[in-house]
Amino acid sequence: MNRRVLLFGFGISLPLLVLLGFAFQHDPQIVESPLIGRPAPDFRLADLDGNIVDLAELRGRPVIINFWATYCPPCIVEHPLLMAGARRWQGEIHFLGVIFQDDPDLIAQFNAEYGRWGPSLIDADGGVAIAYGVYGPPETFFIGRDGVIVDKAIGAVSRDQLLDVANRMLAQPAPATG
Amino acid sequence: MTSVLGQGFVLLGLIAAGFGAALGYVAGVRRSAAGLRLTRRLALLFAVAMVGACGVMWYALLSHDFSVSYVAQVGSLSTPLHITIFSLWSSLEGSILFWGLILGLYIAAAATFQRRGHEDYLAYTLATLLAIGAFFTFLIASVADPFAPTPSPVPVDGPGPNPLLQNHLLMAIHPPMLYLGYVGMSVPFAMAVAALLRGQLGATWLRPMRRWLLVPTSFLTAGIMLGGWWSYEVLGWGGYWAWDPVENASFLPWLTGIAALHSGVVQQRRGTLKAWTVILIMITFLLTILGTFLTRSGVVNSVHSFTQSPIGPVFLGFLALCTAAVVVLLSLRIDTLVSEPSNERLVSREGAFLLNNLLFVSLMFTVLVGTLYPIVAESLRGVKVSVGEPYFNRMAVPLFAALLLMMGVGPALPWGGSDPKLVRRALVRPLPAAAAALVLALLLGARSAPVLVVSAFAGFALWVTADQGLRPVRARRRRRGGRGPLAAVLVAPDRLGAYVVHLGVLITFVAVAVSSTFQREAESTLRAGDTLRLGGYEMTFRGAERVQEPHLIRHQAEIEVSSDGQDRGVLYPSLNIYPNQREPIGTPAVRTTAGHDLYLTLMNVGGDGSIGLRAITTPLVAWIWIGVVVMVAGTVLCLIPTAAERRAAMPRAVADLAASPAGGGR
Repeated sequence: MNRRVLLFGFGISLPLLVLLGFAFQHDPQIVESPLIGRPAPDFRLADLDGNIVDLAELRGRPVIINFWATYCPPCIVEHPLLMAGARRWQGEIHFLGVIFQDDPDLIAQFNAEYGRWGPSLIDADGGVAIAYGVYGPPETFFIGRDGVIVDKAIGAVSRDQLLDVANRMLAQPAPATG
Repeated sequence: MTSVLGQGFVLLGLIAAGFGAALGYVAGVRRSAAGLRLTRRLALLFAVAMVGACGVMWYALLSHDFSVSYVAQVGSLSTPLHITIFSLWSSLEGSILFWGLILGLYIAAAATFQRRGHEDYLAYTLATLLAIGAFFTFLIASVADPFAPTPSPVPVDGPGPNPLLQNHLLMAIHPPMLYLGYVGMSVPFAMAVAALLRGQLGATWLRPMRRWLLVPTSFLTAGIMLGGWWSYEVLGWGGYWAWDPVENASFLPWLTGIAALHSGVVQQRRGTLKAWTVILIMITFLLTILGTFLTRSGVVNSVHSFTQSPIGPVFLGFLALCTAAVVVLLSLRIDTLVSEPSNERLVSREGAFLLNNLLFVSLMFTVLVGTLYPIVAESLRGVKVSVGEPYFNRMAVPLFAALLLMMGVGPALPWGGSDPKLVRRALVRPLPAAAAALVLALLLGARSAPVLVVSAFAGFALWVTADQGLRPVRARRRRRGGRGPLAAVLVAPDRLGAYVVHLGVLITFVAVAVSSTFQREAESTLRAGDTLRLGGYEMTFRGAERVQEPHLIRHQAEIEVSSDGQDRGVLYPSLNIYPNQREPIGTPAVRTTAGHDLYLTLMNVGGDGSIGLRAITTPLVAWIWIGVVVMVAGTVLCLIPTAAERRAAMPRAVADLAASPAGGGR
């Protein structure tokens, strides 16, 4: 047994491996959204049927905005959860879908086949996605009664997160003026 | 159905690799011929399983079977056929499957070509390779399963692969080349493990090992070059190397691989540096695993990063396991590799080789530190830092310059270096060439010290390279009186090949030094009819058009180029918009001449028909690629068996015939 090799080998490699292990605690791709705690950017968008939705008019009730597309597998994964959520909090929370760079016809087809949990808003020039800093679908923004962004999910939203944030938003006191 | 078939092949591969690894080890310990035979069969079975799994995935991609999750992730009905084929390696899971395929092919090749002459080691070699294979198939079967069924509802169409990968055909060859390089390092590694387990490192081990090391090293060379070329032709920033963590990750094993090739030469000639060679090979393999981990775990941010995935921790575990195994194995067995006694002098060929090795290893550590520092800083202090080009240039350029000098000094020195007079003469003779190169650089307008130093070193090295490379040809001429140079080359093609590689390195080196020093650029907003001027070129914007293609929309500008009053053709830089990508992706247009490149990028297209145009002129860029092609050609020469090896491979009677005067041998 050559002790020198043993000591030297582990002396160099062990600290390196430990540091690489530490590196996992940080995901370089997740940057805390600077939007959390700030008023949600307002928008006025038409859905597939031409109905206009104005975010400012929804104030007073929590809003969940989901940026999605039919080509994105995690969007499909979270679809049943959003369906269930929209049913459960009907009349309590607004569920809004914003189409992220997808063909409205495909969205309509998808909604017809698998059901819709809220209006699918057409963000034709991508302006709303840019205002919310959406990197790719799906991203979900939780907006409190006062119009302030409470939380954000990147990737398919989980059941626990949806329950937790929805309850937090519902527990918020209603703002003084509607 | 497709999913099940694919998963079946992966499982078959896992079983073959797992059993093969265990069996090979036992067969190695017991020196059992029957065990070795069975291990070889399992190795071939593993290769078949990997070919099958990739075949199934290609079938799923081509038939747009979106029920396979990987196809749903990277497939798209509108993607052209050839891109669909390449999309096998365009995303994480597929790239690991492709990795498995290449490993399978290497294992099959090792099992086939190493049958004779390497029997002593083969069982251990295959056991090690199959153990690596078992890890990769385990990954494919578990955390990186590309065959996982898509959760219902199955989408009717997919997003298609990353647009950057769709933009240029180079993307079809750059990743496979790199993988061939990366994965190929497993073979010399396995051979090194086998040598340690056997406790002997003879000539029957060294010769094939050098060849098995040479092949992946040159694939890596080509892969790195193609990556640089792709970055230059596609990314539109006018450069080819950015010291990006993942570029560095491919560079690290390349450095140690080359160091190992050089220490192998000393081992072959003088019987020394055995432990060095083995250690360098092992480090090379560990660095390929580290590189794969860095790329695929998401711990570094780069153009190359795949998305965050559970594969990271598993890979780190594998890296830790391999490192521990290597360190323990080395400490247990390294003392069995006794170097032949020698009384070396430092100023000799072997001394130069040793210095060259130390330089390569220092360079590797420099790059490694620069690559890992951001990760370390972030995990320890929670700050994001980026180690940029200045660090690498300041640290690495002097080391590169020293290597360049050694490339001249090393081959000039005699083996053993016993006679100081001989040594002095060998070092004085190339000096006029160095002086000539220096003067030439001054005449061409070079004034910066690094370029002048590199020029002088390059002149020195060029003279030595030509002198040494042509020596066998000249010697043969003198002895034989007029025999063709080809015959002389074929006696020892590896010797000439080595100097051809050096020549390629010199070309690339000078081209890099010049191109990075004398780049010029201009940028402007142009309306139709406007002209941008740069370095003698006049670029007139004629108009932009919008082209709709099935999978993208292309904005293309027509730029008429002229210089010295002569028409130099029309260039079409473009901006491509992919439906599922927010940022448009530019495709630069390049006019290449032997002297320099004119490089045009479209920065933006305004609504009023104006464009933002950036023009860059860079001297000698084409020579970077030419140098690499020369290097690869040199490697191919090295792979031709030498006359001695050809004789050894022949049956006795034939060899005697060939050796007789009528046969034209010696």
